[in-house]
Amino acid sequence: MFYRQSGVRHNSYSSDRDLFPIPADRYALWFFLALGIAAPWLIDGLYLNSYMLPWLLWTAAALGLNLLTGWAGQMHLGYAAVMAVGAYSTVHAVRFGIPWEFALLIGGLSSSVIGSLFAVAALRVKGLYLAITTLAMQFVMDWVLNHSPAISGGSHASLQSPTFALLGQDITSDAGLYYVALGWCVLVTIFLLNMRRTGLGRALVAVREKDFAAAILGVNSFYYKIIAFATSSFIAGVTGAILVATFYFLASPEQFSVNVSIQVLAMVIVGGLASIIGSYFGAALILLMPGIVNGLFAGFADMVGLQFGPETLAHIPNAAYGALIVIFLMVEPMGLGKIYGNIRDYLLVWPFDQMKK
Amino acid sequence: MNETIPKTANSQAVGDEPPVLECIGVERRFGGLVAVTGVDIEIRKGEIFGLVGPNGSGKTTLTNAITGFYPPSKGRIRLDGRDITGTAPHKVAGLGVARTFQNLALFNGMSVLDNILLGRHIHMNPGVVRTALYWWLARPEEVANREIVEEVIEFLQLESIRHELVDGIPIGLKKRVELARALVAEPHLLILDEPMAGMNQEEKEYMARFILDARAERGVSVLLIEHHMDVILGICDRMLALNYGEMIASGIPSEVVKDPGVIKAYIGDGHAG
Repeated sequence: MFYRQSGVRHNSYSSDRDLFPIPADRYALWFFLALGIAAPWLIDGLYLNSYMLPWLLWTAAALGLNLLTGWAGQMHLGYAAVMAVGAYSTVHAVRFGIPWEFALLIGGLSSSVIGSLFAVAALRVKGLYLAITTLAMQFVMDWVLNHSPAISGGSHASLQSPTFALLGQDITSDAGLYYVALGWCVLVTIFLLNMRRTGLGRALVAVREKDFAAAILGVNSFYYKIIAFATSSFIAGVTGAILVATFYFLASPEQFSVNVSIQVLAMVIVGGLASIIGSYFGAALILLMPGIVNGLFAGFADMVGLQFGPETLAHIPNAAYGALIVIFLMVEPMGLGKIYGNIRDYLLVWPFDQMKK
Repeated sequence: MNETIPKTANSQAVGDEPPVLECIGVERRFGGLVAVTGVDIEIRKGEIFGLVGPNGSGKTTLTNAITGFYPPSKGRIRLDGRDITGTAPHKVAGLGVARTFQNLALFNGMSVLDNILLGRHIHMNPGVVRTALYWWLARPEEVANREIVEEVIEFLQLESIRHELVDGIPIGLKKRVELARALVAEPHLLILDEPMAGMNQEEKEYMARFILDARAERGVSVLLIEHHMDVILGICDRMLALNYGEMIASGIPSEVVKDPGVIKAYIGDGHAG
């Protein structure tokens, strides 16, 4: 009914591979993109830059990790460390006098190099062992950041980020910074959408599902794992750099500590492995839910006239938020992306359910 | 070697060209266990070569030795006259060997079409930049390979299920999808590991016909592992019987199946002679 498939015909193999063959999907996409572009006029500047902007950037980060964990099936617990590499090299490059465009590229590439270097060592092991190896990488990076003032910016271990600028224009306005985040998130999304329909995506899934079958088809699984690590690290590095440039305004080690790695992994898993829209949902849930649950709970307490101590007020929302994640994963282990997919599949035939195959 | 295996009965085989596959004294050990020893095979162009033997006789180990999963402990393997002993599996695939697996090795999370497209991997050149600039760099290649895939989909009559997830189709079709995936790679040598296991008579006949057609239309040489003797007798030009990793008989199928050693290995003593 809502996602009408009638009239969708393909005359060529390339149209059969269109990203969104069903018109309703395309309309929804344009609608949300328009909303995203109009957001600075619709949303108050404070909300725009403290909720929308980080949401988009963490979505880009989650998509990068999803490429590695969801598509290529490689566990990574040191993702924040890779983001740190990109952030620090970019900020240092800009302070050295390199324009932001190239500095971001340098940040992405250095993340890519370091991420794949670790991968070469890590890929001799699989599964849980790989998880622990990447976790070790996180701790090594934490230690390096905390113990090398040359990188982390002296005794306070914080590094001021110069004013963000693109094409010679300083970007300082709320809307400008937000558009940078939106642009990057859209670029990463487009890349992943394309990856789903090319040989690269197929090869990554092959490596994830059955490496012996991949090998017999000529897929060099080691090579593709490295490609996955390098690409996901590049996305991580640039995202980390933009995050520092547009949101934190200064880089410090605790922004990229181990719990950040776990949080990004949680976004990917709650959103759904190998699901693009899921990463948007996952990032939103992990990032925005604590605040929303907090507000709801405080409102509820006010309404029924209960008095809670500040400790209870701080802890109950946390517990509720944790429970929410558990409930979502119990209802649908494939994540929020799959829940969306189920609803969409239902509406595909609604109200003619009997015609479901 | 030519003394032990008589010339083929297959009229399509060309005598002068080097054999597609040549195994010379192949042996594979796992610790103290000898899985395969002293196996000589020569498969000529356009030939369907049967490989039979009771369970555990080393048929699959031999194919794993050829495809590089278990490099042979002794002996040489040549493909189109080129030594491939111990070459990594993904490189063997690139040299023109495709195979199917006894227990199916399809990628369940993918559609039938994507599975078969993966068979084209060795002819494609996927990369990060190409993917990012899909519309300009990747699309022409994807469409060109899709056309080849569609030919095979039509040949194996898989049109109606090409967009289904592999997970949801019956086993007979899965076997056919796996054959399609192997065929789109345009191999010189196709190794089929029990393609008819678990099939009924009709499905078996379909599959046998597909194998014969694949040879006729694509000139592929086939190494066929099968337990169904009717199939071996029906479509193989020559065959080899293994028992406990050793060759017990080889030659033209109608003669090999009468060999007392083969009957003893397969059915038991009482029926021999």
